Amino acid sequence: MENRMTMLESRECSFAYPTMEENVLEDISFSVKAGECVLFCGCSGCGKSTLLRLMNGLSPGFFKGKMSGSFETIGMKAGEVPIEEYVPLVGSVFQNPKTQNFNVNTTSELAFPCENTGMDTERMRKRVKECAKELKIEGLLNRSIFCLSGGEKQRVACASACMLEPELLVLDEPTSNLDEKAIEDLRQFIARKKAQGVTVVIAEHRLEWLKQLVDRCFYFEQGKLSKVWSREEFHQLTIGQLYEMGLRAIDLKGHKEKIERKQIEAGEQTEIAVSVSELKIGYKKQKEVCTISSFDVCHGEIVGLMGQNGVGKSTLAKTLCGLVKPLSGKIYWRGKKASGKEMIKHSFMVMQDVNYQLFCESVKEEVILGSRGEQDYKVILEKLDLLELEERHPMSLSGGQKQRVAVASAIMSGKEFIVFDEPTSGLDHLHMEQVGEMLELLKEQGKAVLVITHDEELAADWCDRVVKLYL
Amino acid sequence: MKIHLDPRTKLYFLLLANLLLFFHVDTKTEVMLTILFFIPFFFSERRKTGIGFGVVYVILLAVEYGMVFLGQSVLQNFVSMVLVGIRMIFPCLITGAYAFSTTGIGEFVCALRRMGITEKVIVPCMVVIRFFPTVKEDYRQIKNAMALRGIAVGNFALLRHPAQSLEYILIPLLMNANNVAQDLSVAALTKGIGIKGKHTSMVQIRMKALDLGYMILCSLPFVLFLGGK
Repeated sequence: MENRMTMLESRECSFAYPTMEENVLEDISFSVKAGECVLFCGCSGCGKSTLLRLMNGLSPGFFKGKMSGSFETIGMKAGEVPIEEYVPLVGSVFQNPKTQNFNVNTTSELAFPCENTGMDTERMRKRVKECAKELKIEGLLNRSIFCLSGGEKQRVACASACMLEPELLVLDEPTSNLDEKAIEDLRQFIARKKAQGVTVVIAEHRLEWLKQLVDRCFYFEQGKLSKVWSREEFHQLTIGQLYEMGLRAIDLKGHKEKIERKQIEAGEQTEIAVSVSELKIGYKKQKEVCTISSFDVCHGEIVGLMGQNGVGKSTLAKTLCGLVKPLSGKIYWRGKKASGKEMIKHSFMVMQDVNYQLFCESVKEEVILGSRGEQDYKVILEKLDLLELEERHPMSLSGGQKQRVAVASAIMSGKEFIVFDEPTSGLDHLHMEQVGEMLELLKEQGKAVLVITHDEELAADWCDRVVKLYL
Repeated sequence: MKIHLDPRTKLYFLLLANLLLFFHVDTKTEVMLTILFFIPFFFSERRKTGIGFGVVYVILLAVEYGMVFLGQSVLQNFVSMVLVGIRMIFPCLITGAYAFSTTGIGEFVCALRRMGITEKVIVPCMVVIRFFPTVKEDYRQIKNAMALRGIAVGNFALLRHPAQSLEYILIPLLMNANNVAQDLSVAALTKGIGIKGKHTSMVQIRMKALDLGYMILCSLPFVLFLGGK
């Protein structure tokens, strides 16, 4: 162990972005040896993403900022070596699946790093095949990025990061959009890479899948490296300790059992808001279609919708909201057959990327826009903890606050059926609980709530019933 | 049967079509070349688009000649002037649509690299090609969000309240464009788009006899016209 090469070396490293006064990273010192698998955890905004940017050469060159101390990746000093030199040695995967594939075609995306380093065509083709096989994405080759689901895009991104066989893999919340099976594939893949001697650094909120994988775990708190656990110490953390630090559970067995139960047991049934019969969903051009024989959501009920990546969860949600026409079958609103147009009037969807749903210059205007004037907006804002932010520009808020503004606008416009698309992806435990409380609030108001999620903790702790879609 | 031409051949067609317009060739040469341009389009995977262009072109020609028999008037002259104008840019439209709808980005980039164009030109081209479909996707999402909020819905909303509708579309679009551009840059940079030195292509393109033959065939009417002038 001792004579292994040092991959990462941070010496009293501090970093500040020009727009912020406070340091994002403060006096960080650690070193990581070749072949280690290290987990970075901590609440949102604790500085772990910034640290990853120092590792893959993006900071302080591309994401500019003031750095002090030193940070070395495989002997390359951050700030002195251009990003191009990092390319063959460091593979990076980022958070947002939508924009991390540069090419439109998936095969081109895999070939892209090889093309840029001048690899010859024969070797490149072989490498694409190998890598696709290793990550089990052969079925996704030669497709348009725009036809893939978020999870599928993420897997393509992982493959692309491994094309040049880097010595260091830097993963920034790679599972935020993955289902259980895809996570398992990713886990196996990382285990294989680790066995090959690749160093892996993962910043992640979901901890369970990393349990057996990590050698050490770094806990960050407001820009400081406050704790370092060995794997054994990490395993011994109790759920209470974890939640106190804002971290997710390491053991999800209880949650998974709870989800199983919630699939069978129905909660107390109230008036059915939305129901479907023999609904066939999909886009015309695509072949993959999902048929849902029966499905319903009641008033005052939170239903979790789970299932594999690409199975059609988002499409089902959009179809129920009236945004996509069903291929066949019927949708009922309170027992009466309803057209798409009618469904749009009753439904609201909080999108995964909530930025697209905010149109106004202040939170107040945002919630008043399209409201039916029955309720006092201040009461709603108060309930959602937004009253102090009334005059702020929605775009200046944090992700969770934006979500709540969107929800406030939905309540104000009298919508009864509210759908959330992955509301907790990439959230720490504290913020997840906040989302849960918001769902609870909607439930109390008698709304029918449908939550698309991969998040076991959210499904087990906050949903009344869970429905799983299968291919 | 499908004919697959080299992207460079397609670019040559585009160049020829533009030269036609530039040198103001006679109708006979123009029709001949348009037919030649139309043939590979017909044998490509975008046959339907090609046929559409072909039909419109024939109609334009027919109407133009039909008008000669109707006598002369100011209105007729005006209409026929417009029609001729449209017809004359048709070779450019056909070759342009053919080149861009039947060629993958990889092929194009490879062709540009083979022609010795620097990465300084190729990289921005790639970024633009990647950026537009993303914006289109964003636009769809924003329209969905607007429908759910009940703002500016319906096909005529854009016409009835243009300023307001535009604001609702543009603000989220621009706010996000910044993020999208940043994320894409990061994706490209960490995968080595900025590496100096030779970049290769996985897609391989080759000039075949058919490409050369067809290029010569298409040049003939044009050369004959210039020679006979």
